[in-house]
Amino acid sequence: MSAAQHDSSADEPVDVTDGKLSRFEIVKEGLRRDGIEILHYEPAFPVPGTKVEKRIERFIAFCFVVAGLGALGFVAVYAFWPWEYEYAEFGGAGSMSKWYTPMLGLTLGLGLAGLGIGILTWAKKLLPVEELVQERHDGGSKEEDRVITGAVVGNMVDETGIKRRPMLKRALLFGAAPLGLAAIAPLGALIVPPGDDLFTTGFNPSNNDGKPVGLMLKDGTLVRPDMISVGGQITAYPAIPDGSTNRHADSPVLLIHLRDGDAKKARENAYEMYEGAQWNNYIAYSKICTHVGCPASLYEQQTNRLLCPCHQSQFLITDNAKPVFGPATRHLPQLPIDVDEDGFFYAVSDFLVPIGPAFWERG
Amino acid sequence: MAAPTRRRSGWRRRLGAFARFVGALALVGGVYTGFAPGIYADEADESFQALVAQGEELYNNSCISCHGVNAAGVDGRGPSLIGVGSASVEFQVNSGRMPMAMQETQAERKPPVFTPEEATALAAYIQTLGGGPEALPTEVVEAMVADVMTDPYSVAEGGDLFRVNCSSCHGYATGGGALSSGAYAPSLAGVPADQIYEAMLTGPQNMPVFADNQLEPEEKAQIIAYVEYLNTDQNPGGWGLGRFGPSTEGLAIFLVGISTLAIATLWIAGKS
Amino acid sequence: MKRRKFDAAQLPGKVGGALDDRFKLASPTRKLMTKVFPDHWSFLLGEIALFSFIVLLLTGTFLALFFEPSMVEVHYEGSYLPLRGIEMSKAYESTLHISFDIRGGLVIRQMHHWGALLFVAAILVHMGRTFFSGAFRKPRETNWVIGGILFILAFFEGLLGYSIPDDGLSGTGLRIIHGITESIPLIGSWAAHALFGGEFPGEVIITRFYILHVLLVPGIMLALIAVHVGLVFSQKHSQWPGPGRTETNVVGYRMFPNYAAKQGGFFMLVFAVIALMGGLFQINPLWLFGPYEASVVSSGSQPDFYVMFLDGLVRLFPNWELSGFGFILPAVFWPAVVGMGVAFTVPLLYPFIERRFAKDRAHHNLLERPRDNPTRTAVGAMFASIWLITTVTGSNDIIADKFNISLNAMTWGGRIGIVVIPVLTFYITKRICLGLQQHDREVLAHGIETGIMRRDPDGRFYEIHQPLTDEVDEHGHPKVLEYNGWTVPKKMNRVGALKPGLRGFFKPIELPGDSTDQSSIEPSDSREEIEAGKK
Repeated sequence: MSAAQHDSSADEPVDVTDGKLSRFEIVKEGLRRDGIEILHYEPAFPVPGTKVEKRIERFIAFCFVVAGLGALGFVAVYAFWPWEYEYAEFGGAGSMSKWYTPMLGLTLGLGLAGLGIGILTWAKKLLPVEELVQERHDGGSKEEDRVITGAVVGNMVDETGIKRRPMLKRALLFGAAPLGLAAIAPLGALIVPPGDDLFTTGFNPSNNDGKPVGLMLKDGTLVRPDMISVGGQITAYPAIPDGSTNRHADSPVLLIHLRDGDAKKARENAYEMYEGAQWNNYIAYSKICTHVGCPASLYEQQTNRLLCPCHQSQFLITDNAKPVFGPATRHLPQLPIDVDEDGFFYAVSDFLVPIGPAFWERG
Repeated sequence: MAAPTRRRSGWRRRLGAFARFVGALALVGGVYTGFAPGIYADEADESFQALVAQGEELYNNSCISCHGVNAAGVDGRGPSLIGVGSASVEFQVNSGRMPMAMQETQAERKPPVFTPEEATALAAYIQTLGGGPEALPTEVVEAMVADVMTDPYSVAEGGDLFRVNCSSCHGYATGGGALSSGAYAPSLAGVPADQIYEAMLTGPQNMPVFADNQLEPEEKAQIIAYVEYLNTDQNPGGWGLGRFGPSTEGLAIFLVGISTLAIATLWIAGKS
Repeated sequence: MKRRKFDAAQLPGKVGGALDDRFKLASPTRKLMTKVFPDHWSFLLGEIALFSFIVLLLTGTFLALFFEPSMVEVHYEGSYLPLRGIEMSKAYESTLHISFDIRGGLVIRQMHHWGALLFVAAILVHMGRTFFSGAFRKPRETNWVIGGILFILAFFEGLLGYSIPDDGLSGTGLRIIHGITESIPLIGSWAAHALFGGEFPGEVIITRFYILHVLLVPGIMLALIAVHVGLVFSQKHSQWPGPGRTETNVVGYRMFPNYAAKQGGFFMLVFAVIALMGGLFQINPLWLFGPYEASVVSSGSQPDFYVMFLDGLVRLFPNWELSGFGFILPAVFWPAVVGMGVAFTVPLLYPFIERRFAKDRAHHNLLERPRDNPTRTAVGAMFASIWLITTVTGSNDIIADKFNISLNAMTWGGRIGIVVIPVLTFYITKRICLGLQQHDREVLAHGIETGIMRRDPDGRFYEIHQPLTDEVDEHGHPKVLEYNGWTVPKKMNRVGALKPGLRGFFKPIELPGDSTDQSSIEPSDSREEIEAGKK
């Protein structure tokens, strides 16, 4: 049989109901009708029962047995292996439950792999070795089909009369377009006007009946200056209900107790709007990075840099927390702080600029 | 005439008074001796002085070249140690960071040069020079931590404190992290409890200081307990891939998953 | 009463008949079963994605039975001791519940996550194969576009999936998504507020992400996958050039039993790999991260690997912000929004771009070896290098820490690298392709190098070459063959001059004298002329 191309489906069909044909010949006729020719077809083992064939069969059977055992193992492990969580040291006693997940994965994986390798070996080694050619019949439809379809579509358009009825055409557009709008209008329920959400934080006195808002630790303890060591820092939150939760995710503040020399430098470098924002050697910056909003909390005591771990922006604490490296552009807003008569820190006012990442109308 | 009053003779009276006086002295002296430190104080004083002297000798042999006479510091080589406290010294020396192998951005942990006793001696010496945060004995810290470990709620509070104060530099899984320009926060795996305690207390190099007014000893113990828990608890999900997170997971899917399956496709199908 | 005889042998025929009466299945069944598919290992890479998608659906269904997509705060009282009493969202709590208090929950969760990574990795590898072999050319541009859209959907599906447990790591990612959305000019703050239902983080984002993750996105993906595979079926798979292969035929083997068996077996292998990884390798141990809190973060925070290229871009892009008249165009807009937009749309448009520049509007069913289109291969290598640099930069803090490199130096290295390395990669790849092409033609002209040296009487050494053709020209030299897009044999055993090495792993499969009785096999009396190439 040559590989030269000819459209076999144009040949005369063979009568398959004729009882004289063998089964394979019927198959070949089916192939021919689909434009398929056999280039090469031979059984994997023309001589049945050779040692090689038996070996392969044994291997495949072995794979399936492994698959079954694996699956059974999976069910057994699932039902009977200890699994409940307990603290267990690496390799320590009582750590059987730590192996529950690995054992499940192992047994299931083995079972599935056994089945897969068995089936694949069967396909590769036991199925007939064949190579066939099928015609693609690619490209566009026959010319006459195109002509007919073109005519049908053109006729249909004419039948609707849309071309000859411009008023109806316009009316239809006028009606359909707004309906499309009506379909997406309910998505408007998603819209929540930002208002001044992005311009105020939990430290705004409006959260406290107009009174300045104190600073507190996560557990609610109000912060006093003697709670922070020199060279130390704490994370402080607005002292309002839920102040330390995600409801006021824009408010966390890093309160740093600088050394004398650094505090002096910070005071000298302060922008005009931040003059007096420090209280002695204590300085408070918004923790929310002005790049994309991660908490910039890696305070380096000696270099006085605040590193944000997400994209490595670095802010210089002794210079208004302005960015000195990395993709951040704006300084971390400073919270103006003071200490009240009871000795607790409080925010004199809200931050003087919006915290966090920039947005169009931030200005 | 009245019955004759027996009168002690003058010298007996004086003797009795004298005896009573001596008795009272002996009583007071005895009570005092019983309660006062007495000769033990002398011994303790002596052993402490010996420790400080040993520390001074060690210092003068090893540390003076960078930290100067009387720990006053040497410009460009080593900072002053006045006021750093015994806790700082114990941390730096027991973790092997000091003596530093070379001048670099950050002292790194390495096998300690001095024994723990020598470290204590150095610490005592530095403490006498300028005071500062004092180290707690190892057993005390370990006892506090063991106490926390008995109560999961306490360990959990330690975790909460860890995440607010520590994870930003040391990582959720305590594996450490990079800081700017070559500095780094080291991994906490396998670090002894007292060293973690001392590090929090003293704020070595770029680490902020978490003195006892900020994190009470109890809270420090909670944090240490959480760190130890995390580092000793076996991963329930199999091999932890270093607990680095998505970076090693992504690497694993290509090196293990895709590679295995790509090799499988080479086996399954043709090659030409 | 007459008992009807039950004849098992007749059963398939009867069932088939009953179905055919109703659905007319006879012809379609035959056509499907005998359809010819080409056989090459690289064509199976897309199947990895398809099968891992099915595993994702199965494992995802299990997880959905236990997961609670709610941001309501509760106190944890489950088995994982170090989080006892901690306040967290129900989403996080239910994920911990699945991991520690549901039998087998952790292994299913890990299989789901590894399956997701495998899914996206397989798509990338499959896209690479399709790109470098030129399979996206006419008539398959639509399928390429659909595939590209599937990649984008897979990207977002994965992102949604790892965000819904509301843990510390993915919550940080959510914050970044919020910041990126905010950075869009004009509508940024409105878009971010709409997405989160108010200020960050709000109370609905997890629930919204959940419904996108389990219903909307998988639904669209299922539909697109059906179209994607359907197109491959109807247009027939492309194939590599080779003997007997032309632009108008497909050479291979039949769907049944061969192809179907291989597919079924491969499905089991993919499933097995996911199961093995899901059990043996821990992934996303979110109990270590704690619940998401706005003031908490970790060093070494990264998104999953397929999002890392965006993280890297954001880390590298300098702080160039535009502002004026009270408005700001934040710096992060360029790498995150524009960069992502370009990364997703340009590859989708590539078939049309290449068509324009190469002026190639022909129908292609035969693939091109990468070396035969040096420009395309070089462009692909260039994009791969950009992807690699940005993805590695996404982990630059971990690399800095573990390999003792300064973090600042890593950032600068990335900034310089992303400009220099792609250009170098393009140039070098192109030269390599041209070199390989040249060698192909050399072998076709001069034959295979046999490695046998001869010395002629003049003293000159020369190597004997095995010509690939019998034909000689007027001078007696072998005719120079034309290149036909097919692998040129470069080793003697490829042309049958030497037998292939003995097969078998530990010992040969067949020892001499062990072979089958040859007498029944007749040598064929005619040898076919093998024609190859694009006809």
